[in-house]
Amino acid sequence: MKPPTHTIGNRQNRVDARGKTTGATRFVTDIQVDNMLHAAPVYSSIPHGLLFGLDFTPAESDPDFVAFFSASDIPGENQVGVIIEDQPLMADKIVRYIGDSVGILVAKTAESAQRLAQLVELKINVLDPVFSINESRDATENFLHETNLACQHQVKRGDLKTAFNEADHIIEATFETPFQEHYYLEPQGCIAQPSATGGIYILGSIQCPFYVQKAVSKALKLPFAKIKVEQAPTGGAFGGKEDIPSEVCTRAALAAHRLNQPVKMIYGRVDDAQLTSKRHPFQMHYKVGVSKAGKILAADIKLEENAGAYATLSSVVSYRSAMQAMGPYVIPNISVESRSYYTNLPPTGAFRGFGSPQAAFGHERMMDIIAAELNIDPVELRLQNVLKVDTETQTGHRLSASVGAEETLRTAAAAANWTAQEVSENPRFKTGYGVSLIHYGNCLGAAGWFMDGSGAKIKVHRDGSISVAFGLIEMGQGALTVVNQMTAEALGVDPARITVLPTDTDQVPDSGPSVASRNVVMTGNAIRDAARQLLRILKEAAAELMQCDLNEIKIENDTVLNTRNAETLPFEELASYLYLSNRPMDVLGWWHVPELDYDALKGIGEAYFTYSYATHIAKVQVDTLTGQVRIDKIWASHDVGRAINPAGLEAQIEGGTAQGIGWALTENFKLELGKVLTDNLTTYLLPTALDVGEIESIIVEDPEPEGPWGAKGIGEPAIIPTAAAIVNAVSNALGKAVNKIPVIPEDILKALNEKSTGMNEDSTDYAACLKSNRKPGQPQYNREKPWPPPNDC
Amino acid sequence: MLFHSRSDLFQLSLTVNGKSVDREIVTHLRLLDFLRDELLLTGAKEVCGAGECGACTIIMDGQTVNSCLILAVEAHNRNIVTIEGLRDTTELTDLQQSFEHQHAVQCGYCIPGMVLTGEKLLERNSYPTRDEIKYELSGNICRCTGYHKIVDAIEKCSVTDETQIEHR
Repeated sequence: MKPPTHTIGNRQNRVDARGKTTGATRFVTDIQVDNMLHAAPVYSSIPHGLLFGLDFTPAESDPDFVAFFSASDIPGENQVGVIIEDQPLMADKIVRYIGDSVGILVAKTAESAQRLAQLVELKINVLDPVFSINESRDATENFLHETNLACQHQVKRGDLKTAFNEADHIIEATFETPFQEHYYLEPQGCIAQPSATGGIYILGSIQCPFYVQKAVSKALKLPFAKIKVEQAPTGGAFGGKEDIPSEVCTRAALAAHRLNQPVKMIYGRVDDAQLTSKRHPFQMHYKVGVSKAGKILAADIKLEENAGAYATLSSVVSYRSAMQAMGPYVIPNISVESRSYYTNLPPTGAFRGFGSPQAAFGHERMMDIIAAELNIDPVELRLQNVLKVDTETQTGHRLSASVGAEETLRTAAAAANWTAQEVSENPRFKTGYGVSLIHYGNCLGAAGWFMDGSGAKIKVHRDGSISVAFGLIEMGQGALTVVNQMTAEALGVDPARITVLPTDTDQVPDSGPSVASRNVVMTGNAIRDAARQLLRILKEAAAELMQCDLNEIKIENDTVLNTRNAETLPFEELASYLYLSNRPMDVLGWWHVPELDYDALKGIGEAYFTYSYATHIAKVQVDTLTGQVRIDKIWASHDVGRAINPAGLEAQIEGGTAQGIGWALTENFKLELGKVLTDNLTTYLLPTALDVGEIESIIVEDPEPEGPWGAKGIGEPAIIPTAAAIVNAVSNALGKAVNKIPVIPEDILKALNEKSTGMNEDSTDYAACLKSNRKPGQPQYNREKPWPPPNDC
Repeated sequence: MLFHSRSDLFQLSLTVNGKSVDREIVTHLRLLDFLRDELLLTGAKEVCGAGECGACTIIMDGQTVNSCLILAVEAHNRNIVTIEGLRDTTELTDLQQSFEHQHAVQCGYCIPGMVLTGEKLLERNSYPTRDEIKYELSGNICRCTGYHKIVDAIEKCSVTDETQIEHR
């Protein structure tokens, strides 16, 4: 078969599909190495307290016991905080949440490790915990850290006071969004082994291998060069494996280093739910001034986030939610204040969207509330205010290209037949339509610009095969396949020649984290840089071999062509000649995000270098008998600049949308006094095949000049608009404002039985309990008997 | 993983992927752990360990079952097929190919269970509707795909002519 001329834009099969459909792919959970020991985390079951002792003698007598390590065994710094240094690798003085690790227990089998870890006694003087944003904010003493404020960001632009005075309508509303558990199917895990260099080799389920390298170096006092971190095939991550593996791998590395033996640590599912990060719950207050005609004049927005026990990535989540707080609209006068507060709950951190789905819920519910107040069609209201080329974002970033917001809105509305909405014929069901429009700043933005560079290394082997190493990772999203396609396109060769290697810190320079939907943009541009250099070498060799000028050589359709005489040469022969003529066979490509002009104090300027845009329209049926919301269909239109692989792109849209459906409707995350109650699928309901309805992906390609082949990011935009679209549809069906999620059947029935206009106003009892994470009638926290609560005994 | 204070032993005999296997095992060993840890058949995964997600799906005496809910001793004298034993050649089954062509795979952790569930459905019902496929898959959780392309893969595989699958 003749290889395709172009690979960009092809629905190429995934390069990792075969191993995964046959069960041959070996995840770290599947791997055993010789002389391997097993470890399990030892952690606090008290949400807040002073730790004054650890006693592992009850475990020591077991024949399977090998060792127990705690803070005093750490040779380097006992610190694993990724941005703010507030998190010990192993707590030694204070425990701040149920799940706070104090040590690691090593045993001969995984079963024994988990069993014996539970026998270690923690001696704790119990302190009063705080669980809600309000308690944390209002506290005047007994702070979790130096203060309870983990971080804050703001945007201050224009003249708010004058603009509100000139507004015809001023509309206010309050919104709440809950925790969300990643529930990646493969739990956290790694194998740490002492290496031949005297250092450590880690194989793990990891989103950011370079974070792990840094964390291990810090705690073990080993040079980076002696720490090799390799990413195993990773069974889902969604942000949950951004910073958490730094803790998991470093603790395992400490044990392996001290014992001089391989140590495997895989979190049990319930431990994973209790110990690891979640999506930040947000409380949001929006006040928006609009003209009679529907022009947004001013917005005053306050966002408050529950950061949990440690800051982890809160500061960048808070940054992103502040930068995108009012959405892809022209808003000349704006104030946004975004604050994260510490509480005695599991730390919240990175989760697909990174504060954007929460902010989107705020601004898109707000747009619908404004539309209802002004009696303007919700799509029309958005069209009136939407960002276009040569307009400015809320931070004053003038957009010069690739602004597909309006086109996503128009294409989604056309596909959904927005102006001729269907109505249920069965009176038991109420049909509702809801629209939601978002933008998403690509890559790390001004807050993380210093580390926003990535590499890719292309190596030509003497037989003509090609391998590519890159610094970001595959976690299920399809990176290996698009890296393969982009390399093939850049070099003009058949994708079948190319093998994309697993990510390894020994292979490529620190390329930053695989987050912020930055993989295609960063790696794609690094590949283009590498290919430019490599093509020069290849063409020089070809010109020598074919006796012509370098500029006359073309490599396309997997063949080397002399354009002067149309003579061709198989790529293999050129590769062989490359070796025989002593030329370098591999090159490193690098790309860094262009410099951003941004004022951090005011929050004004280029917050990100470019933005992806998306519109989701949801059609739902509300069952008035059971209170259930059924998704009929979601139309999802995304401006991605350029689709590298349309099939993979649709797959991202469908998967992200499904996660958004879960967050909006079924994933009712519950905590009681700091303990996660919904710690497995029996109580934490992920959407099944029956819950997701139909999803129609619409691809809009408005090319980004800085993107590789015009491409922008898609991973996170896929989830961001979904919940708001669904809840707008539910509000539309009920004729009442629903301003918090998840929308559970109990709430729907309550709303149907009440004569009020807004669901949130009428469930104050519920809202108060939500704030404090307590059920109505639930007991207050008891110092003497922190868990279980007395009424459960 | 089950904790147990006593370790009674049992002489287990069963057929796994066409081969007879005899092993002495502890009685509290789950079938999933027996397959993964003793026989190194790691295609079946542990996700929830509670029978909710279907990632540990295997076929026992012709029925798909959650191997995390079954003790190895319950599989005594039974016939087990895992994802590794689904085919006896190096060729993929039509359904495995269809998963590849339809882009139905992302992180891959649920996929062995999805493939086995799909195979059993197609064995019973050669032309399932989309709703029937979704119903059948509702015991298999996927966190990446939103299920669409997995449903596509099974639906398009129900077309018997392989060249037609290629074309779609």
